[in-house]
Amino acid sequence: MNLAQGVQVVSLGLLSLMVLGAALGVVLANNIVYSAFLLGGVFISISGLYILLNAGFVATAQILIYVGAVNVLILFAIMLVNKREDFAPISSAWIRKGVTGLVCIGLFALLSTMVLTTPWLIASIPASGEQATLLIGEHLFSDFLLPFELASVLLLIALIGAIILARRELIVNEPASGVDAGLMLPERPREGVAVGSDP
Amino acid sequence: MDVPSLSTQLNPLVILPELIVLTALVVVVVCDLIVGRTASRWTPYVAVSGLLVSVVQLGFQWNNDHAIAFLGGFNGDALSIVFRGIIALSAAVTILISIRYIEQSGTALSEFISILLAATLGGMFLSGADELVTIFIALETLSISSYLLTGYMKRDPRSNEAALKYLLIGASSSAIFLYGISLLYGLSGGATKLVDIGTALTLSTGLGDPSIGIVIALVFVIAGVAFKISAVPFHQWTPDVYEGSPTPVVAFLSVGSKAAGFALAIRLLVTAFPVVWEQWRFVFVALAILSMILGNVVALAQTSMKRLLAYSSIGQAGFVMLGLIAGTEQGYASMIFYLFIYLFMNLGGFTCVILFSLRTGTDQISEYAGLYQKDPLLTLGLSLCLLSLGGIPPMAGFFAKLYLFWVGWQAGLYGLVLLALVTSVISIYYYIRVIKMMVVKEPQEMSAAVLHYPVVQWNLPGMRPLQVSLISMVLITSLAGILSNPLLSLANASVSNTPLLQSFIKASTVSVSITDVDSHL
Amino acid sequence: MELQYFLLLAAALFCIGVYGLITSRNAVRVLMSIELMLNAVNLNLMAFSNFLDPGEIKGQVFTVFVITVAAAEAAVGLAIILSIYRNRDTVDMEQFNLLKW
Repeated sequence: MNLAQGVQVVSLGLLSLMVLGAALGVVLANNIVYSAFLLGGVFISISGLYILLNAGFVATAQILIYVGAVNVLILFAIMLVNKREDFAPISSAWIRKGVTGLVCIGLFALLSTMVLTTPWLIASIPASGEQATLLIGEHLFSDFLLPFELASVLLLIALIGAIILARRELIVNEPASGVDAGLMLPERPREGVAVGSDP
Repeated sequence: MDVPSLSTQLNPLVILPELIVLTALVVVVVCDLIVGRTASRWTPYVAVSGLLVSVVQLGFQWNNDHAIAFLGGFNGDALSIVFRGIIALSAAVTILISIRYIEQSGTALSEFISILLAATLGGMFLSGADELVTIFIALETLSISSYLLTGYMKRDPRSNEAALKYLLIGASSSAIFLYGISLLYGLSGGATKLVDIGTALTLSTGLGDPSIGIVIALVFVIAGVAFKISAVPFHQWTPDVYEGSPTPVVAFLSVGSKAAGFALAIRLLVTAFPVVWEQWRFVFVALAILSMILGNVVALAQTSMKRLLAYSSIGQAGFVMLGLIAGTEQGYASMIFYLFIYLFMNLGGFTCVILFSLRTGTDQISEYAGLYQKDPLLTLGLSLCLLSLGGIPPMAGFFAKLYLFWVGWQAGLYGLVLLALVTSVISIYYYIRVIKMMVVKEPQEMSAAVLHYPVVQWNLPGMRPLQVSLISMVLITSLAGILSNPLLSLANASVSNTPLLQSFIKASTVSVSITDVDSHL
Repeated sequence: MELQYFLLLAAALFCIGVYGLITSRNAVRVLMSIELMLNAVNLNLMAFSNFLDPGEIKGQVFTVFVITVAAAEAAVGLAIILSIYRNRDTVDMEQFNLLKW
């Protein structure tokens, strides 16, 4: 084993420990803010794994989109939904957790048997390495053109829909009353949307 | 690869119907942005005409010899054309019945229509997608738009809750589906086209038993598909989402989204999993049994009309699976025929439910009591559609069910067909119960909502399209049974014009006859 | 550097995601668990792409698409959580029982 391979093996071990530890933290931590930051840790260590898999472009995309967008979005959501909430304990919650844990361990055992027994068709040609970005671009404009274009519709609709759902309804007619009107966004009173009040 | 040869290889004209829908979507979004709120007076009609033009365009592509587009990513064969037509039609009717509903609830109409058009687009692409990435993106376009539609009444806590549940269950089921797909990519040694995957899996299995990897991939993929067609035990979201979300959305989910799920099921299972044919058939037998029993039995106990229709749609999905299990040419044809009839009768039923809730503001079954004396047209329409859903002759639903059961019997699924018969008798009971409620004679049995029933006015804004869709749906439901020949020949032709189904039917009948010979020896 | 090693890691991550999905009571944490599952799938795809399909790397393209969709899904999910929080003033999954399961 030469130096380069040694570095790879050590970083692989470190990164996978980080992934598993941070993922367990996301699921088990009591404080949701810790979970969110640990989720960022999972994303970053996975992008390290991508670099080990000769995929620099996807590793960058992972950091940009997952850490830069998704994780920040989740942190914002936690801040907006910032009520310190102690959930009322449910009796026999530990039974549910225990059963779920057993099921998940069983699922892992099944999947790992599958991984270890399947004869994967390992290719013999070397990895594309530096050419990967070029290849991705060629794919996006030839055989994956349709999903690429459809993804734009998906993103447009997600954008429109998320804005509609998350924005407050501004009052059109009546101005906001009260002294601290400048501090709060005026919002239409929440009447029920009884659908058939009067036709 | 130079540009002209690339464009012939891409063959983009196959997706012309989708491009028309996309144009309508862009027109709706941009015009609403420029013109402002007054645009909502005509944007629905732009969308509906776009959808109808797209259906016509689908008709022109019927005998297209160059159906493969985007280098194998999209397959516009006859099977996909039928399903795309069903989805586009259901979206058009949904828009017609949603205009008044959305206006009355005080939310923006144009955004609703654009999200619905995006869902339609996703469903249409899903029906023809022939490659894993396209399948995934189309599926997600459909799903994400459906989550948004479900939560569209954002000030109604029930709509919020339905959207949250739908999103969480849907996103986790699509993650599971995706894990199965990633296994397919690995097991086939790096193929993403369904045909290549099917070949690779057949090669690697040979004559032996399928490997555990293929079975796990199959189970994960079926979990994702069964969620879309809401088969038991992947149905938990259905009653909640149906009850909480706006009624026009429910109409679309129960017809369009379900049809897209069936299209995906047929294409994916038939093309990529011919090697585990026995296994997936077995899984679908189990799903069909559970769906028929649970859907129809739990529907007996429902008090809300929307929940009743939710459970009934679970049961109907169980019936449709019969055709998939039969696996013969007529099996697929009967599925398509049933979905067509289901489109009309279910949308007709939902139109009536929307009309009733617009006028009274409720959808409890007990509130329908005595409706006959106040609104005979609505009572007649709802009764005809419910009778058709229950399968009473001479409604269209009867002939569709008859064909389905006959095909199942021909294929030797005796137990399953008997179970289907028993459960459809149960279903007749709860449909009749609603009808009986509506036609009670005595005025004192009339419910409070019906007592204060407003005068029927069709000239309010947005009521005309409702009237048009009510009358046309009810007419088709009652006449399509007797005049069912065109639809029937359409369903048969779509199966016989689809190469992938033909080759699969040939292969499976050969393998069945081989096993028969083996068992005789 | 073995393919199986990455696949096992992905399977473990997927199972942790499933555990979080079922046991979490905070709706935001459920969304995070879904992100974990999607990342497990991505790891699977990337490993297959590197070891089985190094010439065409379709798995990498697939991963790019999954990342895109995951971002859209997270945005929509958080919008829905915000709107339900405005109406119900909680994000506890056990409290969302207007509609029975």
